[in-house]
Amino acid sequence: MSCHEGRVAARAAVRRLLPRLLLGLPAVALLTLFFVLPYVEMVAMSFRAPAFGQPFGSGHTLMHYGRALGDPIYTGALLRSLLTGALITALCLVISFPLALHLSRLQGRWHVVFYACIVSPLLIGVLVRNFGWMVLVAVDGPFNRWLLAAGLIERPFRVLFTQGLVVMALVHVFTPFMVLPIATALRNVRPELRDASASLGAGGWETFRRVTLPLSFPGVQAGVTLVFVLSVAAYVTPALLGGQGIAYMPAVVVRELIGSFAWPFGAALAVIMAASTLAVVTVFTLATHRLAERTRG
Amino acid sequence: MMRALSAAVLGVIYAFLLLPLVAVVAASLTAGELMRVPPQGLSLKWFARFLASETFREALLLSLQVAVTTVVVTVVLATLAALCHRALSRRLAATYRVAMTLPLLLPELLTAIGLLFFLNGLGLGKTLTGLQIAHVVIAFPFAFLAIVAALEQVDPAMEEASASLGAGGFGTFRRVLLPLIRPGMLTGGLFAFIVSFDMFTISLLLKPVGGNTLPLALFDFLTYDFDPTAAAAATLSVIAAVIGVLAIERMVGLKRAF
Repeated sequence: MSCHEGRVAARAAVRRLLPRLLLGLPAVALLTLFFVLPYVEMVAMSFRAPAFGQPFGSGHTLMHYGRALGDPIYTGALLRSLLTGALITALCLVISFPLALHLSRLQGRWHVVFYACIVSPLLIGVLVRNFGWMVLVAVDGPFNRWLLAAGLIERPFRVLFTQGLVVMALVHVFTPFMVLPIATALRNVRPELRDASASLGAGGWETFRRVTLPLSFPGVQAGVTLVFVLSVAAYVTPALLGGQGIAYMPAVVVRELIGSFAWPFGAALAVIMAASTLAVVTVFTLATHRLAERTRG
Repeated sequence: MMRALSAAVLGVIYAFLLLPLVAVVAASLTAGELMRVPPQGLSLKWFARFLASETFREALLLSLQVAVTTVVVTVVLATLAALCHRALSRRLAATYRVAMTLPLLLPELLTAIGLLFFLNGLGLGKTLTGLQIAHVVIAFPFAFLAIVAALEQVDPAMEEASASLGAGGFGTFRRVLLPLIRPGMLTGGLFAFIVSFDMFTISLLLKPVGGNTLPLALFDFLTYDFDPTAAAAATLSVIAAVIGVLAIERMVGLKRAF
């Protein structure tokens, strides 16, 4: 009897919820058709044969992977992108942690003001933010004039089109992506835990190292993963601020696709870039697995 | 001592975050002929020159057209998807949420490359329709998250009360949910607009023949010229973002939206 009632209730719930679930279909269709399938198409494209006068030919081949992995131009660019991505991620983490801590200690009006300072760059295009750096570091720009006026340098620095500027500008672009997950995680660290640590005799630094840091680790893990993935594939900033000298992987890929019109080879390079990024993220997740588990337990 | 030091460190970091934006706005206001910060005298003449340039004007119009279409399509799809999210069990909802935000979590470049091939296969390569679809895909997660956040504030008892009083699903939505989540929908629309207006990599790979969006025109301009017209173009983005942040804070609260 109760079993029958259960079934009736379940059927009623389905009838009530089904229309709701159907509402999700258009979005699922959009993302399946124009997001999932394009990624499938990218992998498929990387196995197509090359052709003259058109982007790709008929037939399938593995030659693009052989060519990409056998040529130091491409492996070098890939390695440079991965290393630079790691450097950018580390720098983002270093400046984001103090910001997130600061945010987590503020209340009310000031919290909103500083939160807005960190979030609003997210709503301004990467191009515009890069351009801000071009203005600031120009040979006759404010940085050089201030340094000259202060007598710290004798001749203006040439910063534009250097790797240092690319790294700095990308740290600037990705910092909000690191601050937000860490700040969320810090919000979940209850203040009583810090008080307890202090009352047990731990100093400020020790409390930070043994209580706050481990408890906010899931946020760090999320931020590091996101920033690394995004920075390895960053195209605009190196293209605008890095000049022609240094080749990063995204620029190489775009050149093959748009410049040389070699779609299968460009696709193979993109797949290699995505796969190596994923490999690094997997290693990082596995290596920090125990730290993250400790927080959850 | 420690306190002064940490305040100084924070000051430097906040300056690092905000200085490039201040520099862009300052450079656009100069009365001189050169890109200079601080500006030499104040004027709006570079904004006038920006509007007088046919390249920029056409690019601005294309960007606005694409952004407005993106807002309309994205808000409708995201509202439907957010209602579906609400009906799912907790575990399913978490998975669904990640799936719906994937275009935000994966690099724009890779999505652009996939779409370049895929749209070409459909015969939509290098067309305005193709570009428009790509903008919707990338902007969708931003609107979705804002509307989900707004819906989470609504007590399920409201819908139950409405249903028990005899309202159907659509009636409950129109008379109970819609008024409550309207601020979230506006926020989502604003996000979608800004994301579309600033989108670069997608537009670079998928732009229609002969059509430049504003960021593409700005990139070309920065590569070949370097005068304050570019700063005026960029300042439009900064203004849009500031208006966006203020509006979002008023409507749903910044913290809930991000």
